[in-house]
Amino acid sequence: MFSIFKQEARGLATSPASSSTQDLGTNGGEGLDSNSSEKTDKEPVNVYGLGDPAAKFSQMSPYLSSRGSIIKCFRDAAEEGYKAYHLDEYDEDKNPKGIINFGTSENKLCFDLLSSRLNQRDMHHIEPPMLQYPNWKGHMWLRDEVAQFLSYYCKAPVPLKPENVVVVNGCASLFSALATVLCDPGEAFLISSPYYGAITQHVYLYGNVRLVYAHLDSRVTGMDSRPFQLTVKKLEIALLGAKSEGINVKGLVLINPQNPLGDIYSQEQLQEYLEFAKRHELHVIVDEVYMLSVFDESAMFQSVLGMDSLPDPQRTHVIWGTSKDFGISGFRFGTLYTENQDVANAVASLGCLHGICGTVQYQMAQLLRDRDWINQVYLSENHARLRAAHAYITEELETLNIPFLRTKAGFFIWIDLRKYLCTDTFEEEFSLWHRFLDHKVLLSCGKAFECKEPGWFRLVFSDKIPRLRLGIQRIREVLEKEPQVAKTACPASPWRRAVS
Amino acid sequence: MSGVFSEPNNPRAKHLQGSAYLSNRGTDIKFRHGVTEEFMVAYEADNYDEDKNPNGIINFGISENKLCFDLLSKRLTQSDMHHIEPPLLQYPDWRGHMFLREEMARFLTYYCKAPTPLKPENVTLFNGCSSVFSALATVLCDPGEALMIPTPFYGGISNSVYLYGNVQLVFAHLDSKITEANTRPFQLTVEKLKMALQGARSEGVHVKGLILINPQNPLGDIYSQEELLEYLEFAKRHELHVILDELYMLSVFDESATFHSVLSMDRLPDPQRTHVMWGTSKDFGVSGIRFGALYTENRDVSSAVAKLCYLHGLSGIIQYQMAQLLRDHDWINQVYLPTNHSRLKAAHTYITDELKTLGIPFLNRNSGLYIWMDLRRYLRTGTFEEELLLCRRFLDNKVLLSCGKGFQCFEPGWFRLVFTDKIHRLQLGMQRIRQVLQQQAQELHQKLSVPRQLLEQEGQADSTDEAVFVPRQQGPTSGTKTRDLIGLPHQ
Repeated sequence: MFSIFKQEARGLATSPASSSTQDLGTNGGEGLDSNSSEKTDKEPVNVYGLGDPAAKFSQMSPYLSSRGSIIKCFRDAAEEGYKAYHLDEYDEDKNPKGIINFGTSENKLCFDLLSSRLNQRDMHHIEPPMLQYPNWKGHMWLRDEVAQFLSYYCKAPVPLKPENVVVVNGCASLFSALATVLCDPGEAFLISSPYYGAITQHVYLYGNVRLVYAHLDSRVTGMDSRPFQLTVKKLEIALLGAKSEGINVKGLVLINPQNPLGDIYSQEQLQEYLEFAKRHELHVIVDEVYMLSVFDESAMFQSVLGMDSLPDPQRTHVIWGTSKDFGISGFRFGTLYTENQDVANAVASLGCLHGICGTVQYQMAQLLRDRDWINQVYLSENHARLRAAHAYITEELETLNIPFLRTKAGFFIWIDLRKYLCTDTFEEEFSLWHRFLDHKVLLSCGKAFECKEPGWFRLVFSDKIPRLRLGIQRIREVLEKEPQVAKTACPASPWRRAVS
Repeated sequence: MSGVFSEPNNPRAKHLQGSAYLSNRGTDIKFRHGVTEEFMVAYEADNYDEDKNPNGIINFGISENKLCFDLLSKRLTQSDMHHIEPPLLQYPDWRGHMFLREEMARFLTYYCKAPTPLKPENVTLFNGCSSVFSALATVLCDPGEALMIPTPFYGGISNSVYLYGNVQLVFAHLDSKITEANTRPFQLTVEKLKMALQGARSEGVHVKGLILINPQNPLGDIYSQEELLEYLEFAKRHELHVILDELYMLSVFDESATFHSVLSMDRLPDPQRTHVMWGTSKDFGVSGIRFGALYTENRDVSSAVAKLCYLHGLSGIIQYQMAQLLRDHDWINQVYLPTNHSRLKAAHTYITDELKTLGIPFLNRNSGLYIWMDLRRYLRTGTFEEELLLCRRFLDNKVLLSCGKGFQCFEPGWFRLVFTDKIHRLQLGMQRIRQVLQQQAQELHQKLSVPRQLLEQEGQADSTDEAVFVPRQQGPTSGTKTRDLIGLPHQ
């Protein structure tokens, strides 16, 4: 059943640490060696890929099971940076030479508002049921509140139902539970890359579920209108590719607003993706965790829960949580909304392992029901601060002549540092990432998002301006030491319109 | 009695009601609940409340300490608990904030009487002990492998190791019969563990570890130091990991009993394979808070479980509050523990007096929140079907008990009664139990046409060792100490 553990890493798998994997692209049917340095001029390679987290595993412990050893050795792409950061965190007073964190996607701009709200008296209330075993779907009064909250903010056409809500201690837990109940071990979800890399371990560590990547790249060709555009065609290719290798894909994961790109899917796009999924009887997990972090007023965010009708409501499952939108990633709260009671109940069966403290549930209910505070105090101020930080950073990037994807949502910018790589390899990318870290600024490199093109980085800007300033300064120092590589003449591509 | 490898819910069996939407394992998870869950659902739909639902179900089934809510809610709302700073609202070290791991190491050093200070780096924090079981099972065993456990045991552990871990349990069945080897009912011996292990191996089941619950649930037993050492040495001989669940270590309410934590031992036979868990759910009566800790010297194990911790994460605010709670030794030693223990003792005395009056045998122990009682003579036949019927009958009469099958007890007819509630609820619950048993006895008497005395048990322990209470040999009760219970503030 769990035979995947005993298998050798197949040559087809994408092994993130290695540069010499051969991915099967289906464009022209030829696999291309990713070491080729003239790759930028050729057909896009690696249109899809298969994740194989066990491939990196090497060392058995005498005390652990095989699976335990794999888990122990599992290297989260973000881990090294995260660890280094925590040992040397920047602090204006205590550690001014510490590391500036542009790597972790956390909104640090509104701590004052949140702590003030969470300290109000209505939050300090304890009743016996809060200290006793709850229903593992969550206390009903919280699920009621979540249903009302989502109905309002997702602009649901009809009120959402509390019985379709399950609350757990974070969205990672929801991914883990959904992977476990929708897939059998070794089965897979389809996801477009680049994507928020931690999803790999959310579905793998307990669930033993893999990811099939529909690789997007920056070239704007054919039907694409912007870089890294997700189209149904790309999803189809990836799905077919996976099937041809005997991988059973059970679902599609969409992140909207997208992380790391910051894209917001239009209603038409959402409809297309959902219909694609329906045609292939795939579940769709829609991660809308940044839905209230759309700071640009001109942007239109469409929640899947706001659609008049879903192509396949029994296979559409929406995830949301407070970590991003309320800047309280340490709170640990996530919610699933699905009309499928089989799925809701199966996830709830795992709820005892992902339980939320009763008093935290209470505080969450108080927070979510406070529409006035959310609308009049929090959201407007949060968006204003995000806009200011975003404006600051983008100006700096422009000054530094660093291309980036325009974004209207989220806390991060997808920046293009390819011209600073001597060769288009992930070794070079990693080496640049390391130089940033050595200079005390932590970024996330594209490999951590399974991006197929080396040289892209994610920069998180949701912090105070002085820190942004310092971080950018350190980035500049690193880049000034890098010669910009004179790449073989690359005609100005149309995508530059979408990129500044 | 050797354990038979048996998994009540065969994961490979296809369920009749498969779901079109779930994977095989998803379907298995969804339908993996026995009678316990059914009864829980019934209770939730109709739970007793003095004012709103006086005809509702009295809960003697869930092991929760409801006696000290007043103390806990007061402590948890004190101003030192209301503190928020940025790190508490941000992503933490997933093993738990260092300030809390340090506090937990200090707490366990003190209360477990560790010979040398325990180290914070050996502490990992989770949102409850079920999560600790899940993570340990997953890293110690491969799918389909097993952990061994003596029965009866707290049945929730089956789910905890299975849901994600797909780990089975091998049972070392204990029984109530007193023999040369079995000097007290349900005694755990190394011989029984050995037989169970052999039995499992002969069936090709790979056992990776042994689970011990001390103080024991549902029996209330406390293992002596010698016994603990024997079990640990047995495990070492077979290179088994030992998982110690010491969740009730501070719920030993009788001064005459001494609890020894494994962490108090001068020397462990196999420290790299000894893993201890504890949490606040029982000892502090806050099962809704979801907080548990693992202590192990094995770095491989702790770093492996640390990878899973973020799926069992605790809110930063709760971590802060738990640190405040655990560091307050004054409050714990001078206010909480003495009051909790005296209330536990009073409730225990009340219930045991009632049981004696009813002539119901039970294990007379000094710890935990429950009593393991013997209702075998109320079963028409000594079968689990009859046990379940009796359990349903209790539920129909609005009192929820846990039947032995839920603890994988090998002998039908044993029930666990949780007594940690207010006196008037205990009174009401006992009244309803009495009614059911009287009815049951009458029906048995009529149906079987058997003289009543022949329905009574034989081979009971001598009451002088306090092991099992035998009503007719016991003297009159020494005055119920209901004074203590009457004095409880209205909650």
